[in-house]
Amino acid sequence: MALIEVQDLVKRFDGKEVLKGVNVLLSEGQSKVVMGASGCGKSTLLKCLNLLVAPTSGRIIFKGEDITRPGVDIHRLRQDIGFVFQHFALYTHLTVEENITLGLRKIRKMKTAAAREKAAFELERVGMFEHRKKYPAHLSGGQKQRAAIVRALAMDPAVLFLDEPTSALDPQMSREVVTVINKLYLDNITMFCVTHDPFLAKYISDSIVFMHEGVIVAEDIAERLFYEHDDPRIRQFYLSVIDHR
Amino acid sequence: MDAFLQDLIHYSPQILAGLKNTLLLMAVMSIAGLAGGIGVFYLTLGKNRLLRWGTERYISFFIGTPLLVHLFLMYYGLPQLGIRLSAFAVAVIGFTLNVSAYNARYLMTAYNGLDKTQIEAARAQGFRFGQTFRLIILPQTLRLSVPSLTNQVIQNLKDTSVAFLIQYPDFFAQMQEIASTNFQFLKTYVAAGLVYLALVSVIVAAARRLERKTALPGLETLDHA
Ligand SMILES: Nc1ncnc2c1ncn2[C@@H]1O[C@H](COP(=O)(O)OP(=O)(O)OP(=O)(O)O)[C@@H](O)[C@H]1O
Ligand SMILES: [Mg+2]
Repeated sequence: MALIEVQDLVKRFDGKEVLKGVNVLLSEGQSKVVMGASGCGKSTLLKCLNLLVAPTSGRIIFKGEDITRPGVDIHRLRQDIGFVFQHFALYTHLTVEENITLGLRKIRKMKTAAAREKAAFELERVGMFEHRKKYPAHLSGGQKQRAAIVRALAMDPAVLFLDEPTSALDPQMSREVVTVINKLYLDNITMFCVTHDPFLAKYISDSIVFMHEGVIVAEDIAERLFYEHDDPRIRQFYLSVIDHR
Repeated sequence: MDAFLQDLIHYSPQILAGLKNTLLLMAVMSIAGLAGGIGVFYLTLGKNRLLRWGTERYISFFIGTPLLVHLFLMYYGLPQLGIRLSAFAVAVIGFTLNVSAYNARYLMTAYNGLDKTQIEAARAQGFRFGQTFRLIILPQTLRLSVPSLTNQVIQNLKDTSVAFLIQYPDFFAQMQEIASTNFQFLKTYVAAGLVYLALVSVIVAAARRLERKTALPGLETLDHA
């Protein structure tokens, strides 16, 4: 069943059309990666889907409900979508554990003890349990991103969005994070991930969506998209990110 | 015993009463000014453009005009409109409006230095703006502003000394009265200065402790810079 169905999504920023009619489908348990050149609208697409950015036109069906209609409870919608950012975006005044329990306590209304227990369980899964009392400033990039992933996952969202989760990391830390996301993939967590990293894309996706200047031009599994597609835009993009690594 | 010391002892009930009034005014305006500053800061972050413009004008007005003008306006000006407030009321209102403007400005400055991706993360997590403000923005901006906010408390203490100009019987008013009866201007005002200095030292010590305890993780080292 489709968890998210995007129909003819358009987003204009003061006259500039950034999304020019995007159509995409994400099923429950499916993991999709979005790739494409810088500025083609990938982040904007993600942010439209949880209404951090207001779409200009088009429809977004989430769990069967059109969330672009007025009167939609955007807070409830966002509480159902985990979001992982390129630059971690951890709350700097809170420990790793508190970063995770804050949403559980204040949004999910869990008791502190139960929230801690849940945080401990989730941290254990990504090898971060021993760091739970540390502040973000005292963590490595890879540790921060793992903490951020746990913060999102602990809320038991229907889907996890990741916007370039490894681009701010050096290769070693990046591998750390890829491993974690790959585990989620193998656990059939529903994911929608933007990345420039073909390595990440390949290991965490059921299929890859290729965007160019605000439209989706191709969708396929990694092998075929990277090696067999003859669209020059995709070839060029792939060569550029391969060179980059 | 020195005649001056005898005078001080003789007038000590009056001095202590003045001191009490000074500390009371300082405490009230510091607390109300902090609450007001937080309120104004909150409004500056709002969506409503008119409200944001209004709060910005409010801050500029109070930072840009002398405190004494506000006090005189309320104490000597308002009665001409039939509004008569006590010296204490005028002092509390005038100082609080003033201090709130400064505190709001400190918080806004701290906010500008915040890593805003956290706020986006809080929005993405489904927090309402009020929650994001209370749970994320305020704890961080307050902690970043501790040095400025505590400096403001020191400023508040010193500023109470102009309250005598609207007939508020603060510590300095009492010392002036003593000086005008015994003509020991030099000694009396030196004594007054020493009392303010002692009080400020106490505030400074408390402020340093607070700064150490509330430094944001990762920024602790600024303390020693
Ligand atoms: N809030 C905004 N206001 C105006 N223009 C914006 C805004 N957000 C994004 N844009 C513009 O929209 C375009 C697409 O931005 P977006 O961040 O979605 O690209 P992206 O594909 O995620 O790029 P990158 O790979 O660099 O992250 C860019 O030209 C950007 O300048
Ligand atoms: Mg982006």
